[in-house]
Amino acid sequence: MDTSALSSRRDFLRQTQNADGGWGYFPGKRSWLEPTLYATLALHGDAASAKSFALIQSWALPAGGWRTSADVPDANWTSALCLTVYIARSVRDKAFDQGLVRVLRTVGAEGNFLMEIAQFTNPAMVEFDNRVQGWPWRPNNASWVEPTVHSVVALKHVARLPWESSNLLSIRARAGTAERMLIDRRCDDGGWNYGNSRVWNTVLPSYPETTGIALLGLQNRPAAELKPSLAIAEKYWRETQSPLAKAWLLIALRNFGITVSNTTEPATVKPSRDVLVAALQCLGEPDGGHQFLKTEGIPS
Amino acid sequence: MMKRRDLIPVAAIGAVGVYAATRQEKHRVLPAQPSTVAVVKAANYEADLTGQMARGIAECGLDVRGKRVLLKPNLVEFDAATCINTDARVVAAAVEVFERMGAAEVLIGEGPGHRRDTWDLAEQAGYRSIIPNFDRRFTDLNRDDVGLVKSFIDADDMYFPACVLRADLIVSLAKMKTHHWAGATLSMKNFFGIVPGNVYGWPKNQLHFYGINESIIALHRVFGPKSFAVVDGIVGMEGNGPIQGSPKPVGVLVMGGDLVAVDSTCCRIMGLKPEKLSYLTDASYGNLTTDRIQQRGETIIQVTQSFQVLPAFHHLVGS
Repeated sequence: MDTSALSSRRDFLRQTQNADGGWGYFPGKRSWLEPTLYATLALHGDAASAKSFALIQSWALPAGGWRTSADVPDANWTSALCLTVYIARSVRDKAFDQGLVRVLRTVGAEGNFLMEIAQFTNPAMVEFDNRVQGWPWRPNNASWVEPTVHSVVALKHVARLPWESSNLLSIRARAGTAERMLIDRRCDDGGWNYGNSRVWNTVLPSYPETTGIALLGLQNRPAAELKPSLAIAEKYWRETQSPLAKAWLLIALRNFGITVSNTTEPATVKPSRDVLVAALQCLGEPDGGHQFLKTEGIPS
Repeated sequence: MMKRRDLIPVAAIGAVGVYAATRQEKHRVLPAQPSTVAVVKAANYEADLTGQMARGIAECGLDVRGKRVLLKPNLVEFDAATCINTDARVVAAAVEVFERMGAAEVLIGEGPGHRRDTWDLAEQAGYRSIIPNFDRRFTDLNRDDVGLVKSFIDADDMYFPACVLRADLIVSLAKMKTHHWAGATLSMKNFFGIVPGNVYGWPKNQLHFYGINESIIALHRVFGPKSFAVVDGIVGMEGNGPIQGSPKPVGVLVMGGDLVAVDSTCCRIMGLKPEKLSYLTDASYGNLTTDRIQQRGETIIQVTQSFQVLPAFHHLVGS
């Protein structure tokens, strides 16, 4: 049953859905894939969700992946999120398979020859292990935390589907490497910056939102390995004033089975008119859909 | 065949100094007239910023009557212990000045490079409490609708926020800072924040692969002709900028309509050599040398402060 907070946010999403079935980042704006995907999950089972999913399906690209928005006909990191939404809706079609191929073929550029030379000649500039690659925001760019997490979550869902063992091996290999990449990029304080943990010999701080997101990509790692990360995530949850960060932290902590007592929004919240934040806040509620981002280990 | 831009990631990640030392000069179009740059003093953020900014803008002869003005501050990250962002009081002063000058509309837009919650960042940095009607004026450029700019770099098109494309005048409200990849971040580098995260991600990593200098130059080529710069050098940042450096009080606002001239002047104030910054020497147009810049207000020597730089940028200082 909807709590009042969940109910009001879902109402907000229903009221701000565009005629084409999608959502902009803010009401009245053109439809974009990213807010549409989160809103689709947040309204799962609702007629509005069926309508938005139809739009998502219509945005599938012949070469694999989904267009970024009504106005941007190229695929980017949001294609991995599409896989998660398709699985939530138990839809597996040609677009899904082509999208999966696209995700599996996309890899961070930090492992290419030129980048390896650059890092070898000046290792202090950006310190990370470029042998463990995740996913970029866009093809031919370097790996970053958020797109990597969305791909890991998607692949772990995908791995529960029936596959030939060779396909499962490649899925497991990519997800496993990406998990190691996330661990490699972890900051000294246990959380995550958006990409790296050190630049020019300087330790970078972690951020609340990226810490919440990164934990979603590591749900099946040993608990002891994540102890400092979960500790700082709980600290961030108590202290951050960012509605976006709070939403991601809540989704992550719930999926780790951690009960957080205070779900009161900070007084400074401005954009309840922010579609993406509203959708993520829905997902973070007890019955709001965070389980769509919960993963299990890939079977061997 | 490998093209020059295929090598750009090397420069972006590991060889900035080598790249800067070996690059070739590009042909630059000199404006027909020298460029005016105004340097006005403001000892601190409690000073008469509105009056000083208005005086400097008047020296530059800018007319904004009837124009839709977009202020683009440098809002990157918040750390109460340092001075990363264009101070909210400078942005507030700019709002007042441009409204007084008769702008049809004064809007504010920014798309931070890696923090996704722009509104929260604006809250922390004091923008929402200090700048009049901030919520009504502000657009998160990372999440606006977009339009396409053809042939942004070589044959590559690039998307930009609708409110940037609609603006008649973009005011680069930059911060005077050193930068650990670019050497210095001033009014031209500040345009990285208009590249939309909802297309290119956080950070706008595509720009690193194009090359930081190449991207600054391309952004300047596209948006420079309808831009004006006001650089917040009241308290700048030295050392490991643009985020983890140290505050550097300089006590000036630097402004002008030629962004190359403004940034060159800022470099001289910071004790850096503008002719060693490739995005200035290779910019497609603009005045770089002092004989092509009409200095108004304070002279450079009156306000110069030597900024510390990271070892990779020692070539920007000294003989």
